[in-house]
Amino acid sequence: MSRDRFLDSPTIWVLLIGAAALFLLLLVGYPIAYNLVMSVQEVTLGNLPSFSRPWVGLQNYRQLLADPLFLLVAKNTLIFTVANVAVQFVLGLGLALYFQLSFPASSFLRGLVLVGWMLPPLVIGAVWKWLLGSDSGFVNYALQGLGLISGKIYWLADPLLSLVAVTIANIWFGVPFNMILLAAGLAGIPTDIYEAAALDGAGPVRRFIWITLPLLRPTIYALLSLTTVYTMRAFDLIYTMTHGGPLDSSNIFPVWSYRMSFELFDFGGGAAIATAMFALVLVVALAYVRSVNAERPM
Amino acid sequence: MKRRTFCTLATAGSASLALGARPARAATTVSLWHIFGYSTEPGLINITRFNQTRTDVQIDGKSVPFGQLSQQLVKAVATGDVPDLITIDNPTVASFAGQGVLEEVGAKVAASKGLARSRFFPGSWATTIFQGKQFAVPGEVNTLMFYVNQDMLRAGGVDPAKPPQTWAELTAVAAKVADSAKGKYGIGVSAIQTEEGTFQWLPFLQQSGAGLKTLTSPDAVAALQLWVDWVQKGYASHDILVKRQSEMTDAWLAGNSAMSLSGPWELPRILRDVKFNWTVIPMPVRADKNIHATALGGYVWAIPKGAKNVDAAFQVIEYMLAPEQAARSFAGGRLPAVQDVQPPADLPRAEVYAGFESQLQYARPRGPSPEWPRISEALQRAIQEAITGQQPAQQALATAAATIAPLLQRYPIEGM
Repeated sequence: MSRDRFLDSPTIWVLLIGAAALFLLLLVGYPIAYNLVMSVQEVTLGNLPSFSRPWVGLQNYRQLLADPLFLLVAKNTLIFTVANVAVQFVLGLGLALYFQLSFPASSFLRGLVLVGWMLPPLVIGAVWKWLLGSDSGFVNYALQGLGLISGKIYWLADPLLSLVAVTIANIWFGVPFNMILLAAGLAGIPTDIYEAAALDGAGPVRRFIWITLPLLRPTIYALLSLTTVYTMRAFDLIYTMTHGGPLDSSNIFPVWSYRMSFELFDFGGGAAIATAMFALVLVVALAYVRSVNAERPM
Repeated sequence: MKRRTFCTLATAGSASLALGARPARAATTVSLWHIFGYSTEPGLINITRFNQTRTDVQIDGKSVPFGQLSQQLVKAVATGDVPDLITIDNPTVASFAGQGVLEEVGAKVAASKGLARSRFFPGSWATTIFQGKQFAVPGEVNTLMFYVNQDMLRAGGVDPAKPPQTWAELTAVAAKVADSAKGKYGIGVSAIQTEEGTFQWLPFLQQSGAGLKTLTSPDAVAALQLWVDWVQKGYASHDILVKRQSEMTDAWLAGNSAMSLSGPWELPRILRDVKFNWTVIPMPVRADKNIHATALGGYVWAIPKGAKNVDAAFQVIEYMLAPEQAARSFAGGRLPAVQDVQPPADLPRAEVYAGFESQLQYARPRGPSPEWPRISEALQRAIQEAITGQQPAQQALATAAATIAPLLQRYPIEGM
């Protein structure tokens, strides 16, 4: 009896919320605050262990904006993110719809597609670096064999193409994730709605536009937000394939931040990039939370 | 002093004597972060032997990939939990020392019988000094030579017994053996936008007669134009812009590149995997200058500030550089930084190791300068701008010079 009363009492709410808040504060809040503080200080290896470092205000940010690389990296990050989110979604949706059809081994094949997502990005980066090699890479070999190109395409070595190359690899990496979330969303749509619509004379295209898409909306919002966040923090894959080069043509913010901190030992600058990235991701995350809340009354 | 005598005895291999003479007490554990990744590495053998020989000091080793040493050390410094001893890439010493991260070891080295300065290659010794103080002890070194696929040379009508000795001859041989349409190249170098790219190109700059202060000179431009021409004429692959040295060696092992610039660290796998006749040749020189220069890579032993067992860590350094331990370096594809040990005669292809050893006299350090990462970055950018054709070599080097000049003014580098 008393146990039930305890579980219903306000005390339990305070405890539950307190535990969650403490967890977030320690494991999420602390690193963010630490990073934020670093981004407004002059941080060297010498003063790294302590918090008492010279305050420099927004100087790290100003330096970042003045850096000739800034615009290039910002442009790369934008292209990389938009291309990844859009293409991963379209391909993921296509695959999800395809595997919804029942044909022999469809569920087995769907599972197989997921394998790509289970591989570490480092491995994927190494494999794609081989595939896209200009001399003995399979992609050039295949394109030449099909007669589509006569010379070689310098996928990774050409500054105009390296961003395309890492984007292709990252899309390949992200599609299975999109597919599986969309497949789960599709499975949640009751089949009797489709049957009723079919009886009323709606063809497949109209059923897709008027039933599938609206009912998938919560899944789509969640997925787009998650993919955006995942893409904006992509690091390993690019680092393995091009190290951001040649000439920073495939450099995006996370790679730049890493190189600034760990190769140039400019920790303040690295922290400033990371903080700016955090702000961007936060906006996306807030949009996601809002969309989830807006869907709830339905 | 008495302690040191024991130490010397122990390193000489008189384990039992040291054991018997020492009062029993709890062992000091030296935490060591090292780059000895494979279980057969000589470095690991040395650690095991040390632990078997000594009861008062034990090494607790942890392997870190070479490319992640700086990052791991930075993380350790940030958390205040540093190892007692670490192997770090030689050009990073000045960066770390300049920011007060490393323990000064000059007094200890001066007092040590085993670590006399005369034993070391001068170039590698120079990498451990920053502003007149010593912050590390050279460990193992490496340098660059061209690995030559003799079968490919022969197929191209070049006599492998007469390898190229000048830049012009090198280019001429490359032209004869390259067939870029088939993915066969004459020359393999790495022009990647990392320290590896700088490591490989810098010797060409030095051979040209130019240096960091004269980057806009015709000599410096010639050194860069040499690489640009190789790529544009199809003697070297465009992929050198994104391939690391190890990946260039992959291409060489696959028979796709006749002459590949790399170091002795590749020897263990080359000896295992190679399927053609091969040799190594010294880096060809520029005919009108005749300046021999090659790269100096390798790691140094450093004790981070805040290490708990500085004395014991230093004893480990002394042990590792004693002739018996140092001589094991060769089998691991590394060269000891001390000059008084020779490659063991029973090594396969001992003449190749001796070849690398002989080139160390021309090996020049990068820096030392705490600004080396920025200097290197500017050079990488110039190399890539010129090879991709975004800027003429002259222009690319002028941009680099504008970045590098103020950095050199702040921290002058002797001989660069």
